Amino acid sequence: MIACLTIPGLKLKAALRRTPTLALRPAALAPEPQGEPLLGPVTATAEAAGVRPGMRLGEALATCPSLALVEPDAGGAERGWEEILHALEDAGFSVEPASSGVAYFETRGVERLYGGLEPALRRALAAVGSEWDARIGAAGRRFAALAAASVARPGQVVVVADEELPQFLAPLPLTLLPLERGRYEELEALGVRKLGQLAGLPGGAVAERLGPDGRRAWGLARGGTAARVRGRRPPTAVAASLEFPEAVGNELTLRRALGGLIETALARPERRDRFVRKVALMARLESGGSWRRTLTLREPSADPDRIRVALSPRLSELPAPVSELRVELVELTEPTGCQLELLAAGAEDRSRLRDGLRQVRASTGSGSVCTVVEVAPWSRVPESRALLVPKDE
Amino acid sequence: MVARAGEPRPARAEGRVVARFNAPRAARVEADANGRPLEVNHRAVALVREEWRVVDRWWTEDPVVRRYFEVVLESGENTVVFHDGARASWYTQRGA
Repeated sequence: MIACLTIPGLKLKAALRRTPTLALRPAALAPEPQGEPLLGPVTATAEAAGVRPGMRLGEALATCPSLALVEPDAGGAERGWEEILHALEDAGFSVEPASSGVAYFETRGVERLYGGLEPALRRALAAVGSEWDARIGAAGRRFAALAAASVARPGQVVVVADEELPQFLAPLPLTLLPLERGRYEELEALGVRKLGQLAGLPGGAVAERLGPDGRRAWGLARGGTAARVRGRRPPTAVAASLEFPEAVGNELTLRRALGGLIETALARPERRDRFVRKVALMARLESGGSWRRTLTLREPSADPDRIRVALSPRLSELPAPVSELRVELVELTEPTGCQLELLAAGAEDRSRLRDGLRQVRASTGSGSVCTVVEVAPWSRVPESRALLVPKDE
Repeated sequence: MVARAGEPRPARAEGRVVARFNAPRAARVEADANGRPLEVNHRAVALVREEWRVVDRWWTEDPVVRRYFEVVLESGENTVVFHDGARASWYTQRGA
């Protein structure tokens, strides 16, 4: 069985850890500083007062004047999610995080350990703890597991057997499908509001009307494929942080601090000569919230200057003065991960290919070797999408 | 990409010899009363997996009116055939 653990509103719950009393009042996650003024997740009390996630700030305040806005704590949310994944891994589950607040794991390997499927899922919920209101869905397929988790209440486990799958999915809303907003509206205008209605349509008609995304959504509405869960490699926690005596907004000072932090993190013995593939920059803001950016380096490196050059531009995105700056080496390669090649990659293959094509041209004549050139990839007529152009040089 | 022997010779356009990629090839198809294929190039159809229509360029003198079928032949081969409504003839096509 594939299990899916979901924590709706993880970012809000992480931000509310600093002010737990707000959890019982109408509260919502404030919009991102440089983004559109749209609310993030909201508390149950706010929802009861008519406030919805994604609502415009002005509209939400007009609907519920006592609404409290909670400053986003991106760093806290990331740390909280990492703690949850660690707790699951400590309990023996090999997890594959899909997004913040959604993770999949395979139960087959741990069912015997915990005495069956349901006890194993209960153990996973216990590992996460009750403060996050986690819920778990389990089914033979990934999408079905996600759908089961979406109907589960906090702390509940919902298991869907394969034979019950079509009946279980049929009454669920289309919003579970990964479609653009316009597509939902298009389907609703056609009278398709539930997964069962979409699944009942002919696949060819859906593909013709909605394209590849629609075809994929149609496949999911019928249960989706039984894709394997690939457990992640737990990240390494090598970090260095610096707390400022007073909040700093000067970019030059922050750049200097960043340079020092990168060198300190790289010098940590836990790094053990490994190269950095992914690095995160975290800042605690003067206002109490936090800010975090993650960067994957094009090539793994242990050169402090290279990492500094890659990270420095992110400092200009800081929304407020900073009281603490932290650098985390999120993913490290093995010590041999950055070995240089003796010859350029693929050079020999390309040269062999050129020789082979030359021989084909010599034996079959000019115009026999062609390249495919896309001219109208959007066309519904297959032969209009690309041309074969002779490659004589 | 190597052009195969037996394919129609490419047309010359703007000084360079070009051909359409995935151009349709004429096929011999036996169909039932509903127009669904029973046999493709003397090989029996085991299953019609999907059916769809493409109607395009209706504003031109060369409109496209096609009824496509994705079929599995008894040999296990997967193939796509279409009936061209304008020419009243059958073709096989890749990349559809």
